[in-house]
Amino acid sequence: MANSLRLYLTCIRNTLEAAMCLQNFPCQEVERHNKPEVELKTSPELLLKPILICRNEAEKCLIETSINSLRISLKVKQADELENILTKKFLRFLSMRAEAFQVLRRKPVQGYDISFLITNYHCEEMQKHKLIDFIVQFMEDIDKEISELKMSVNTRGRLVAAEFLKQFV
Amino acid sequence: MSQNFHFLTERERERERERMACFDRASPALKETLLKIYRAEKPIEMDQRLFEFGAVEYHIKSSASDPQYVYLSISTPLLSQEVSLARGISQGTAQTIKGIHSDMVELIEPAAEGYQLTLRLDFYKIPQGKESSKIITEIASIQAAILSCQLKDMLTNVTSQDTSQGMYKPIKLVYHPREPFFVVRQPEKTTAVFPMRFQEKTDVIIATAFFQELMDVGSSEAWVKVPLCAWSPIPPPELRGEQMEDLSTNGGFISFDILPRHVKGKRLDKTVWNLLNFYAFVKYHVKCTRGFIQRRMRKRLDNLVKVLHVASSEEDGYAIDPQGCGCIKSIISVPKPNNTVRRRCRNFTRKIKRMRCPIKIQGFRRFRRRWLTVPKFSSPFKYTKLD
Repeated sequence: MANSLRLYLTCIRNTLEAAMCLQNFPCQEVERHNKPEVELKTSPELLLKPILICRNEAEKCLIETSINSLRISLKVKQADELENILTKKFLRFLSMRAEAFQVLRRKPVQGYDISFLITNYHCEEMQKHKLIDFIVQFMEDIDKEISELKMSVNTRGRLVAAEFLKQFV
Repeated sequence: MSQNFHFLTERERERERERMACFDRASPALKETLLKIYRAEKPIEMDQRLFEFGAVEYHIKSSASDPQYVYLSISTPLLSQEVSLARGISQGTAQTIKGIHSDMVELIEPAAEGYQLTLRLDFYKIPQGKESSKIITEIASIQAAILSCQLKDMLTNVTSQDTSQGMYKPIKLVYHPREPFFVVRQPEKTTAVFPMRFQEKTDVIIATAFFQELMDVGSSEAWVKVPLCAWSPIPPPELRGEQMEDLSTNGGFISFDILPRHVKGKRLDKTVWNLLNFYAFVKYHVKCTRGFIQRRMRKRLDNLVKVLHVASSEEDGYAIDPQGCGCIKSIISVPKPNNTVRRRCRNFTRKIKRMRCPIKIQGFRRFRRRWLTVPKFSSPFKYTKLD
């Protein structure tokens, strides 16, 4: 793993460990309702300051915390147009199947490629450190998958081009 | 031509070969119909029309009273609008067709109304066995032969009218509707220029990546003998003066430099057929690549979800105290119940439920709720949730 990536992921991990202290908190405005406060943002006293961790101009992570929920938004590196469309396709594919991930948000926050929403209920059902491991592992896997996809598409193109040109020989 | 053979299993390769029949010279529908007539035990009466690529039409006629002969008429759109329709097929094309098994295939003149070509096929002269399939395949490739001849005629018959200020005028050819391509004759070479258009941005990017690879492979030392390939986002200088609608593209322009050695002898047919099917080839590659990306994403999704399920399944059977709560220090591990215990609990639950009395007694519901409900032995939560 590159040094800068390791530092970036370590910083995110440490921030998540500090931020993921969630507890059940019913809605203050509506009776018998329990909503993730980080989404509504109606009560400023329940929100913590959002933290933005940037690896470079293209890659960043926004962590927004509240008393009962936590939102993590990621912007993935896209070096060229091919990576751009592969990233968009893949992350949209995952977002559309958010129910399989439980903690994934169906629509990313504006300006980011993918978002997670973790509530106190998720922290009760799953182990906190495993959740953090999942988020960090997810970030690594996405980068790796996009690179592999790009390489596969280019390799396919090369093989197909060779087959086409063989017809002229 | 193999598109994605290296990424498929054997079964998928077979399916891929069948799907790629559209690049074969022989028309699959025509071949199947002719084979059906040839192999029929009794003579069959047939008057059938087949349509392909939207503009190619075949008319097959066979009579039960005269089973020896089958009449095949073909109507195919001309590659270039400059060729007069009244001329029908050219001499070169007629010669080529006469060369295809002249004892079995006879050119009927004039052709049937509405068709450019009518052939009379003598099925009695077709030999039995594997040879018959080969001959019928050649007959079914007649449309490819007509188109190839048209292109060959255009490439060989360059007149003075085709030059303007020392430069040869590009010839616009239309094989697929709305997808014209240009052929420019020059003294040392012939250049085929394909303006590429795609409906979606994703297709444009995948195709552009393919064209880059095509250029890289074509310019490498191992592939010196192939036509030189070039891609540019703007129209090449040879196409200056052509109509705007033909030159407006989103996928750029790809050109092939065809040298005399690429059109010598048997290579002429292959080269011409490859050029005619270049658009279809690229579109097919883009479609296959999209399918490949989709399959890969689905596979990756399963792997990613597994990680999360492992994270949540490790929680089963453990009740760990939450951080910050100093009341409960010890970690309680609840062993998973085995099958015998589960079965006994299930039977006990059933017995309790059967004790429901069919007759309604006032006040019994409260009694039942208090004394006859099955207690919960384990809770998924670490503490009791207060409503």
